[in-house]
Amino acid sequence: MRAIVAGGGLVGEQVARALQSAGHETVIVEQDRARAAELTAAGHRVVTGNACVSEVLEAAGALRADVLVACTPRDEENLLVCFVAKRHLELPRTVARVNDDTNLWLFDDAWGVDAALSWPAALAALVGEPAARVHRDLRP
Amino acid sequence: MQVVIIGCGRAGAALAHRLDIEGDTVGVIDVDPAARLRLPPRFRGRFVHADGMHTEALEKAGIDRTDALAALSGNDSLNVVIMRIARERYRVPHVVGRLHDTDAAPVCADLGLAMVTSVRMTVDRVHRMLRHRRLEPEHTFGNGESLLVRSGVPDYLAGRHVHELDVAGEIQVVEVTRAGHSLIPAPGSRLRNGDLVSFVVAAGSLERLRGFLGGRLT
Repeated sequence: MRAIVAGGGLVGEQVARALQSAGHETVIVEQDRARAAELTAAGHRVVTGNACVSEVLEAAGALRADVLVACTPRDEENLLVCFVAKRHLELPRTVARVNDDTNLWLFDDAWGVDAALSWPAALAALVGEPAARVHRDLRP
Repeated sequence: MQVVIIGCGRAGAALAHRLDIEGDTVGVIDVDPAARLRLPPRFRGRFVHADGMHTEALEKAGIDRTDALAALSGNDSLNVVIMRIARERYRVPHVVGRLHDTDAAPVCADLGLAMVTSVRMTVDRVHRMLRHRRLEPEHTFGNGESLLVRSGVPDYLAGRHVHELDVAGEIQVVEVTRAGHSLIPAPGSRLRNGDLVSFVVAAGSLERLRGFLGGRLT
């Protein structure tokens, strides 16, 4: 599969690595130039720019990609990225990182999010607490 | 009117202050507790120190009963998300917001959100002032398609009919100030030296108007 990873922080880079290990192609979209250079030096394919802008996602291959993973550390950015990817560029699938568990309810079809994962809820579930919603996947 | 304002920066605080003076009920939300200091000491509204994306914060600020919401935080994406929450979850009748740059503008257009883009507004305004030094717009209408400009009358135009300056669909004289008194020119009235003339002009015709006032009457 071809995947676009929006946000090249620690999480984004590791998501890209994990996807590459599983045999997928990845392009990371990172806004910060210095960080983008670091990622390039580390061997990633990188597009520098704001992932909320459809031209930037197109430059990252959005029209041919199978999935977009929104992993920035800000929930509002992840929502906008998924919206643009889904509504403007018709990506088949979008997956988002939820940073603040309180915002989990926002990550749904209205913002073009197919699946979302919240770390605190996921960890809590592993501990054995009855976490109500670890993630949501709107696909049947 | 009851208003919720997101962001208590310079713009948010100034708007909160003005609405408060005008007698409206204002709730302001900011993540920075120190932002409260930007509000005047006698501010009667409510300051909520919280993340504006959280429904609990919005409800504390009165979003359930509000007539309007203004999203003025420094984070464009946050403004967009909160505006949508206000409109779709809380059915706030009037929702407006600000964008610093144009990156999120296509999303806003798609969602039908009313935005003020501060960079674009500043650039348009400064550009206009640079290009049309003698014609500083007093007021702009719509998105700047029509402008109200005032100018003194150059000597060579004295004695000409006021409406010789009109160009259908482009330039329209609406008012003349003569010796401190304002008058709406009747058909047939003539310009005099020292008149100050108000025009409504299409943005694309400013150059033409400048030409008139600079000595070309075509």
